Amino acid sequence: MKLLVLLSWPYVRKHKLRMLLTLAGIMLGVAVYVGMHTANLTIQSAFQRTVDRIAGKAQLQVSAGETGFPEDVLERVQSLREVSAAAPVIEAALATPQGTLLVLGVDMTGDSSLREYDLEGGGEDVIDDPLIFLAQPDSMIVSRQFAERSGLGRGSKLTLKTMGGQKTFIVRGVMKATGLATVFGGNLAIMDIYAAQAVFGRGRLFDRIDVGLSEGVSVRKGTAKLQSLLGPGFQVEPPQSRGAHFESMARGLTISINMASLFALLIGVFIIYNSFSIAITQRRGEIGVLRALGASRGQVRRLFLLESIVLGVAGSLLGVAAGLALARGVVPGLAATLQDVFGHAVSASEITISPPLAAFSVFIGVLASLVGGYIPAHAAARVDPVKALQKGRNQVLSEGENRLRRRAAVACIATSAALIGFGNGNAYFYPGYLLGITSLILLSPSMAMWLASVMRPVLKAVWPVEGALAADSLIQAPRRTSATVTALMLSLALAVGFAGVSRGIYASLIDWMSHTLNPDLYVSPSRSITAKTFRFPASMAGELRSMEGVEEVQPVRNARVMIGGEPVMAVSLDIGAISRRVRVKPVEGDRDEMVRLASQGKGVIISDNLSLLRNLHRGGILEIPTPRGVLKLPVLGSSVDYSDQQGSFLIDSKLFQRYWGDDTANLFRIHVKKGQSREAVREAILKRWAGSHEIFVYTNEGIREYILRLTDQWFGLTYIQLAVALVVAILGIVNTLTVSISDRRRELGVLQAVGGLRNQIRRTIWLEAVSIGVVGLVMGAAAGVVMIFFNLHMLHRDLGGLRVDFVFPYAFVALMTPVVVLCSFAAALWPAESAVRASLVESLEYE
Amino acid sequence: MSKWIAFLLASCALAQDPRQIVEEVQRRNRSQSQRYEGTLTVTSAKSRVTQKRWRYERTGSFGDSKAVLRFLEPPEVKGVALLVHNHKERASDQWMWTPELQRDRRIALQDRSTRFFGTGFSFEDLEERDAGQFDYTLLGQEKLDGQMCWKLEARPRQTKRSQYTHSYLWVRQDLYVYVMVEGYKNQELLRRIAYRDYENVKGLWTARFLEVFDTKRQSRTTMKLEKLEYGLPMKDEDFTLQALRRPL
Amino acid sequence: MIGLAQVSKTFTGKRDVVALHPLDLTIPKGEMVAIIGASGSGKSTLLNLIGGLDHPTAGVISVDGRELGSLSDDDLTRVRRDKIGFVFQFFNLLPSLSCLENVSLPLHLRGWPRQKIHDRATDLLRLVGLEKRMDHLPDELSGGERQRVAIARALSVYPPILLADEPTGNLDSAAGAGILTLIKDLHERLGTTVLMVTHDMNVARACERILQLKDGVLLSDARVESPAAS
Repeated sequence: MKLLVLLSWPYVRKHKLRMLLTLAGIMLGVAVYVGMHTANLTIQSAFQRTVDRIAGKAQLQVSAGETGFPEDVLERVQSLREVSAAAPVIEAALATPQGTLLVLGVDMTGDSSLREYDLEGGGEDVIDDPLIFLAQPDSMIVSRQFAERSGLGRGSKLTLKTMGGQKTFIVRGVMKATGLATVFGGNLAIMDIYAAQAVFGRGRLFDRIDVGLSEGVSVRKGTAKLQSLLGPGFQVEPPQSRGAHFESMARGLTISINMASLFALLIGVFIIYNSFSIAITQRRGEIGVLRALGASRGQVRRLFLLESIVLGVAGSLLGVAAGLALARGVVPGLAATLQDVFGHAVSASEITISPPLAAFSVFIGVLASLVGGYIPAHAAARVDPVKALQKGRNQVLSEGENRLRRRAAVACIATSAALIGFGNGNAYFYPGYLLGITSLILLSPSMAMWLASVMRPVLKAVWPVEGALAADSLIQAPRRTSATVTALMLSLALAVGFAGVSRGIYASLIDWMSHTLNPDLYVSPSRSITAKTFRFPASMAGELRSMEGVEEVQPVRNARVMIGGEPVMAVSLDIGAISRRVRVKPVEGDRDEMVRLASQGKGVIISDNLSLLRNLHRGGILEIPTPRGVLKLPVLGSSVDYSDQQGSFLIDSKLFQRYWGDDTANLFRIHVKKGQSREAVREAILKRWAGSHEIFVYTNEGIREYILRLTDQWFGLTYIQLAVALVVAILGIVNTLTVSISDRRRELGVLQAVGGLRNQIRRTIWLEAVSIGVVGLVMGAAAGVVMIFFNLHMLHRDLGGLRVDFVFPYAFVALMTPVVVLCSFAAALWPAESAVRASLVESLEYE
Repeated sequence: MSKWIAFLLASCALAQDPRQIVEEVQRRNRSQSQRYEGTLTVTSAKSRVTQKRWRYERTGSFGDSKAVLRFLEPPEVKGVALLVHNHKERASDQWMWTPELQRDRRIALQDRSTRFFGTGFSFEDLEERDAGQFDYTLLGQEKLDGQMCWKLEARPRQTKRSQYTHSYLWVRQDLYVYVMVEGYKNQELLRRIAYRDYENVKGLWTARFLEVFDTKRQSRTTMKLEKLEYGLPMKDEDFTLQALRRPL
Repeated sequence: MIGLAQVSKTFTGKRDVVALHPLDLTIPKGEMVAIIGASGSGKSTLLNLIGGLDHPTAGVISVDGRELGSLSDDDLTRVRRDKIGFVFQFFNLLPSLSCLENVSLPLHLRGWPRQKIHDRATDLLRLVGLEKRMDHLPDELSGGERQRVAIARALSVYPPILLADEPTGNLDSAAGAGILTLIKDLHERLGTTVLMVTHDMNVARACERILQLKDGVLLSDARVESPAAS
């Protein structure tokens, strides 16, 4: 420790910038990890908090996926001796100028036994006299916060967009800002459940029943009793489980966050490795003196490891702070995306800080720092005191070391290929993945050197002095360069990997949309077609059909149902009618037979990803729990369908209506008569329902744009991480250059002494930076191919079982080329200036 | 002489079986049908006064009757109706009809401790409960409002069915009608209902004025019975959900 | 050729150090001058000032009629590359470049055409006797050979002035003698003005004039009657 203060501190002070850059490397890596996880956690816990507060004293909740269930279930639940109170609930989210308003439909006559409605004005409130509240369907109770934000008071009118168009509600109560009313950032409103059914087009269904158990009845016993009473079509779960379902839906996000964080940290490791390697090269004299004075190898090693720990702790702590700031910035976007993609409204005003996450982040930050510092520390310990004290000798990465790396890389590749080629399952795939990446890292110094020597003649031909010197600078100092190049390669590989996958997904999505989403118009009850708030009554289909210019109307009802404890999207439609318009592309099964049997209700057509995720194939049986019992349907075949990340199945609407007692629709697909203008029909529909129903009519192009925008949003989140990864890599370039310049001060001095103009000096440095960039880019693109391969596999395996074709993102790489070149160039600006401004005399005498 | 009579009555009263008293109350109050218009006045602890009016129709014998309560005032609630089917052996079934929504809803058993629409009554208080659902104890006799009464304690046989652990009933010894009822939860008095202005209508002694005191909210609810009639011809089909849905 | 008027240099820092007290000096064209003095006497500072590598604290330096103080950084570089060749004690060759490339370096910087550069560099290496070592890297040469390459580089455009800072300081005596002969030979054949810092009296005596510095003050300025023919 004394040594650390004595020796390391002056060095740090002397190389403030580099230390800052190194610190930034760890900081950013940790920040991405903490930031994205905190954002995710914030949303998950906000969701859970909302669920908990809404659940009130309810110990169990009865639901049936997202489909809702008939009202009579309530009486059956209430009839149980184990149940002390059961209250039906409808939950819906409405867009208001004050943000999303969560509307809770409850039965006021009995709900207070589960939830406490703490109203302002004490005993004179509406809940105690629910008569008016119930008698008038426009009654609403709002939270104090919402009332304040919207300037409402008791008796005020509140206009909201509903299924019945603009509807005016009357505020008949204001809840105190405690407990339930704090849910959803205070944006909460309470309605009578039967009024809510009408307003949200729920028919005679409830979303959920909240259950309080009688005294002495355990949650387990209550669950068992209810489950056996209701059958497998219902989920009987404690409120906490809903958060878990939400979490499992967003699992894709968690995985991609983990991956990007891992890469950010890995890149951080290389920055640290780079910094320490450089420091050790520069401090060889000092190490030599230390060794000559009797320091043991262990002491030297410990000194450097200690330095990396100190740096790691500092960087990680800063990273945690930066990550929390990042999370604050990301949460609104993430919440909006999750809401758009999954249709679950979440409101999180405050981020959730998890001490274990923070502690773990510091731990991995320090670990990364230690890993990055280990090899240099080891090298420092091996420094030969005699050689170190001789002047002018540089330690060069030996050919032997390189050979060793190459051999290890080959071994990694072979093992990786064997694992992935012959192994089955994640236990083989992920180690294979890891080894694949490792081999890239191991190969990168050799690759970088090779590329630099390939580039040398080119550079020399264009800029004889500057070019040659720049290339030589790379070749001569592999320790200085290779780590940076590796970091850059990794970040670009990550970016290319993501870009490739997203390109692939877009390509597949567009292909799917073009043969599946072919109606002329879509009529949706919400702006977002994933939102579950509103539904259309079945009768609307007939009204649409009777409109002029409309040839065909296909109602679609989709909702997640729980199969095997995980949500699966049920898509109910008239399969016969749809198949006349859409040519289903079967992955498995015979198209005609599939369609024929499915339209007769004799089976389901499952999505390809469901088939993969559940290992379900043609001829298998899909057991679908419904409110009317388990529906066992044969799998007729599978087709490519991107309706849901966790899989979907097509079921004929007649069957669905029978088993779920639900004939509402989320969406109408409309085909316009030949020769009729889509726009005219669209206008007519909008006009027809203007004022009575709020509806959104999308054109075919509109819906495609909508889906692509949603996909953009989804990928947008990963771009943040990519950007950070790139920034870290660019920091690496700055780092390397500042070192390169201090290493080459004499060389640059000579260049000036023999007549190099300032611009010529600058150009050498710029060229060096750009060369690093280009080498990194080429290697990144190559590594990107490997990444795409792995990512597609991963997508296929773990993220929705999506089958996506390999597409190399040429456009992205073409876009990245100037970005990387410019960034490397920008990274060189400051170092180049500092080089030309350095004192010539000192440079020439520099040793 | 009067002392003698009083003594005789008293001894006779003491000898009375409490269940017999309650059954006698029910017997004397028995009518095949009833109709009245009630005016409810709720005075809250903060002296805010709200008023509601309803029409009440009942058919069938005590403890096994059916009743419809339809609100007439205030205008916001006009037409809202409550249908009660009382059962001898178990708690009643209750439905509510809200004309604006065109929906009926069942009011579940769990909810009967809640107040009856902002009044001092709970839903439970509006039920007719057959003597068979309770155990009674005669606690003695007291003079109340100048009338000699029996004081009885009633305990529900099935606790789940009542919000009260026990109630005290004061029954006028001359008319066999309730003068006061106090509902308790453990040692805490929840509600006190006083029956006043007894009047003989078609041979039935009926209280024309009720007063409920809600100890928790410190609110006072009075109910005045008007246009009271007994023995009207009423049809069972008027006491169904379908009938409820009919416009006023 | 080279003129210094009241030139002084003070290094400022925590403690100001006067490296050179005000000094007047004129070196006519074609002279071969040795600057001697103990370590820290200011001889390297003087050389650096004349070479335009450093700026004087006060005074005027003119080289070939141009006042260095009035020049911009790039103009100073141009004066340096056209008029002055440098030879350093530690050679300062770029290790990654071959001998030929090292010699070509200043010519490339001047933007000469390739063929001309190649011809000139070959000539120069021949001139210093290294025609067989052209494609070798500096690391593969002996100290003397490296210094020859450095001299060849310094002579790339046949500058009128050659500044040498301890050119033999890092060489054994045989190699040192060889280098001295080479410089003297070039001086005589090309008429180059040579200014050489040394602490070796034998080397100094080979020059025509010896300036002796001590603690930043010009102690003596003596002509050597018959310079030793080393």
